[in-house]
Amino acid sequence: MAFDLTVLVPYLGQLADGALLTAEACFFAVLGSFVCGTLAAFAATSAEPGLRRIAGAYTGLFRNIPFIVQLFFFYFGLPEIGLYIDAFTTGCIALSIAGGAYAADVLRAGILSVDPGVVEAAKVSGLTRLATFRLIVLPIALRASVRPLGSVFINLILTSSILSTITLNELTGAAKIVASTTFRPFEVYFVLLVVYAGLTYLMSLAISLLHRRLNRYMAEG
Amino acid sequence: MIAIEKVGKNFGSTTVLDGVELAIAPGEVVSILGASGSGKSTLIRCINGLETVDAGRITVDGFDVAEKAGLAEARRRSATVFQLFNLYPHMTALENVMLAPTMVLKRPRAEVEAEARALLERVGLAARAEAYPAQLSGGQRQRVGICRALAMKPRYLLLDEVTSALDPEMTAEVLAILAQLAREGTTMLFVTHEIEFARRISTRVVFLEKGRIEVNLPTAEFFSEAGGLANPRIARFLSRMAAPEAAAPLSPAPTDAHEAS
Repeated sequence: MAFDLTVLVPYLGQLADGALLTAEACFFAVLGSFVCGTLAAFAATSAEPGLRRIAGAYTGLFRNIPFIVQLFFFYFGLPEIGLYIDAFTTGCIALSIAGGAYAADVLRAGILSVDPGVVEAAKVSGLTRLATFRLIVLPIALRASVRPLGSVFINLILTSSILSTITLNELTGAAKIVASTTFRPFEVYFVLLVVYAGLTYLMSLAISLLHRRLNRYMAEG
Repeated sequence: MIAIEKVGKNFGSTTVLDGVELAIAPGEVVSILGASGSGKSTLIRCINGLETVDAGRITVDGFDVAEKAGLAEARRRSATVFQLFNLYPHMTALENVMLAPTMVLKRPRAEVEAEARALLERVGLAARAEAYPAQLSGGQRQRVGICRALAMKPRYLLLDEVTSALDPEMTAEVLAILAQLAREGTTMLFVTHEIEFARRISTRVVFLEKGRIEVNLPTAEFFSEAGGLANPRIARFLSRMAAPEAAAPLSPAPTDAHEAS
């Protein structure tokens, strides 16, 4: 059988639908993991030992369990105790929580790299702790963390393929179906390769732009 | 009035402040001199609550900085200028100056911006209002730092070695502004190594030695033969600081074989 991409033409719509679903899931997952990560990083760098412990437990737990197990627990386990969430929402939540654990670590490192003198200036001026975090610490930490955060987000895109295991026909799920109907796995998965590479390339491009834009005037402290 | 009553501070087993008593009344410019490590900066950091005292009490207009509410009020009444500027690197000069008045005092932006621009103009930085700290020279950054402090309309200005990180030319820029503030009657607590300048602008000079106040005298008296200079420690300190060429020649490196082994 010769390599022939044209056999996929009738299935392009199906694959495009899958790609769109992947993009949507990734969009929410990136947002969600950023929020989870920021909250956890705030807790991890707080003066409150209780908060620090909670943050430590969160990152420790979710980075040490295979993502597919977390996903199955949410999707197949929770209904047992009466919690039904649809596959798409479950996927986004699971990705957000797992990605958030990695984002938290990256942001924590960024926060610790902020010049303590700058934070002291904010404190002395009378800003509350929350305002200092929101207006001074987080924006400066983000500038240092954009790139490593980008790696976390790229990993999130790659991990989103696992959502196909909970009946979600995102890109990988759609490709599996197309492959089993056409019996042309080589072509199908070749396209899959290219599309994932394209998605992550777009993400890294966006991260680079954001990094350059945020650090325009940050030559030195 | 800033009242420092029998204040003690330790870092581990090191005593940094030891029974410091000092009062700064409105309108005074009090310079604090002393060798590095004498506790000068720590004293300022205790007043603005960046460090907590281990003994004694500090009040700003009667508000105890050891209490949460007291500290918040004390911080509204005083403003600090730092040795290493500590500007917010992600904000323009103007935004640096405007942040606290808008966020802490909740004053309207337009009004704050007009005042901030006027402050920057006063220190010769009107044209640099939109520049980021990284685009400014050290002297310019410290002038922004002073504007940021003044924007809060503090009753007390705490200056922590504000020219130590600057070359002589930039130091002159910054000192000129401080001299002007002193003439206008701004109350200042001025931790410094600039002895000549302290002599010109202060109403009182305090000499700190190993965490204790060695001398606390009106400026003229401090620099007189019968006053501060009668204290041999101060006389030695002043002669070394003011005239480095008069300092003792470098002693030869120890060559003692016993010590080396």
